Amino acid sequence: MEKENKKELLTLAIESSCDETSAAVLRGGRTILSNIISTQIPVHQKFGGVVPEIASRKHIVNIMPVIDECLQEAGVKLADIDQVAVTYGPGLVGALLVGVSAAKSLAFSLGVPLIGVNHLEGHIFANFLSSPDLEPPFMALVVSGGHTALVDVRGYNHFHMMGQTRDDAAGEAFDKIARVMGLPYPGGPRIDALAKEGNPLAIDFPQALNEKGNYEFSFSGLKSAVLNYINSEKMKGHALNKPDIAASFQHSVIEVLVAKAFQAVEEAGRDTLVLAGGVAANSGLEGRLREEAAKRGVRFLYPSKILCTDNAAMIGCRGYYQSLAGRFSDLYLNAVPGLGLEDKEE
Amino acid sequence: MSILAIDTATQVSSVAVAASGKLSAELTMQAKLTHSETLMPHIEQVLKMAAVPKDKLEGIAVSIGPGSFTGLRIGLAAAKAMSYALGLPLVGVSTLRALAYHYPVAGVRIVCLLDAQKGNAYVETYRWEQGKLQTVDAVRVAPISEIIEWCGRMEEPIVLLGDAVQKKIAGKIELPAGVTAAPAHLLMPRAACVAMLGLDELAAGRTGNIMNLEPVYIRRSEAEVLWEKRHPEEAQKTLPTEAM
Repeated sequence: MEKENKKELLTLAIESSCDETSAAVLRGGRTILSNIISTQIPVHQKFGGVVPEIASRKHIVNIMPVIDECLQEAGVKLADIDQVAVTYGPGLVGALLVGVSAAKSLAFSLGVPLIGVNHLEGHIFANFLSSPDLEPPFMALVVSGGHTALVDVRGYNHFHMMGQTRDDAAGEAFDKIARVMGLPYPGGPRIDALAKEGNPLAIDFPQALNEKGNYEFSFSGLKSAVLNYINSEKMKGHALNKPDIAASFQHSVIEVLVAKAFQAVEEAGRDTLVLAGGVAANSGLEGRLREEAAKRGVRFLYPSKILCTDNAAMIGCRGYYQSLAGRFSDLYLNAVPGLGLEDKEE
Repeated sequence: MSILAIDTATQVSSVAVAASGKLSAELTMQAKLTHSETLMPHIEQVLKMAAVPKDKLEGIAVSIGPGSFTGLRIGLAAAKAMSYALGLPLVGVSTLRALAYHYPVAGVRIVCLLDAQKGNAYVETYRWEQGKLQTVDAVRVAPISEIIEWCGRMEEPIVLLGDAVQKKIAGKIELPAGVTAAPAHLLMPRAACVAMLGLDELAAGRTGNIMNLEPVYIRRSEAEVLWEKRHPEEAQKTLPTEAM
């Protein structure tokens, strides 16, 4: 059963941690044969955010068609699959459980190994798919809905945490502020678009923990400051200058992220910085990181738009490198909704 | 013809292998373990116990609801993926009907109650007539107290089954005359019943479509109900996505 050449291994990957049902087939660690994503964004829009029970209900309906389509598009038979990788956290528990249950059942039925994958590590590994020549070591800035972290990626299975968020993640602040400004869900891209029309220096919002050598993040203070500002403007009867609020808020977030990211690059002596996570699709953040990287002579990479979203290809990539290190899961694998990033050395 | 049956609709985790007229093996547990952790290892074990290799199975039956939303999805996701990978037909079996299969006694109204949260139950009633299980009152959601009161007004003897009985009724409240809670070992869902109903369904060719099969939730999500309360006009324009 074991293939001599690991680069020929076919990995079927499943991702269902939030509001996308996705399945992918990878050959080796870097070649995407298919990456099918069924998004539920339109379903959740009227609720102003992802409703966990509705997300789970969509996953159980979508899971088999998505798996079936990913095999068809890859042009492989299920029987050819060598291993099954699945996101087991972090995410919404009910949503995760659909993918985990299906993946375990597929692995058992096919008699192939199962690999439980950390969704956040998957986001980092999306960069291996977008940049085929990327190799560790490098610094990764992870910015997603629920997490903000700086990870020194020393090897494929060797991570050192530089620091992470103490309270709210950057993505949460984006969503909350978008909601208060009356922007439709998902709020992040709307703020990004509005910010392009506003003045980033119009309002002086705080930049927390912005001292040298501190790699922890805190966005709850900034979030409160923006919400207070919006409320006090409303009380005074002023019309909100939404573009300026968006631009100034985004500026505060981005400057903290950029400053810490490059301090970490310098401290660890890395020549490459990668951006990972859903917020990697934010053009303002990507633009500032690129600009700063050019100034400092650091190589800056970020995944293509589709690989920034929640997708199974990145889970397959992470799963493949775990399998090379022999890190498999058994059939007792459970969803871990609060799974975080941590130091790892194998 | 051997089939695998799964019931994860309540806190009971139950898997069985059965052939026509024979229960080969069953593994039924109500311990403090999650379905997510135990279901696949239990399936592996029950197949081993029955000495039926997975590629010798000829169908899968799954308890389709109503019940715990998450529990139902864990069972159905596993059943669908296995059915897909092994090329087996899949049948969804009503959790309430499978419960009534526990009690093949004529002259009794069988009242199956599954927990629907906040003091409510999904309730369906049955009667065995000439060796066949007939539905008397179709499934609905009602307060448990109201169901018990209604049972008290019935003239025929009544037996109560289901997880709502274990949680809220047996040994907890006084039952009207003529109304009995089933003994503990017959109270909760078992995959053996799902298997027997599933075998009939398979033989009749009534199989589910694994590409779109959903649990029978009966209830919509609270978010949807709340949204419609807040947007009564828009709610009228769009038909509910799930039956209620």
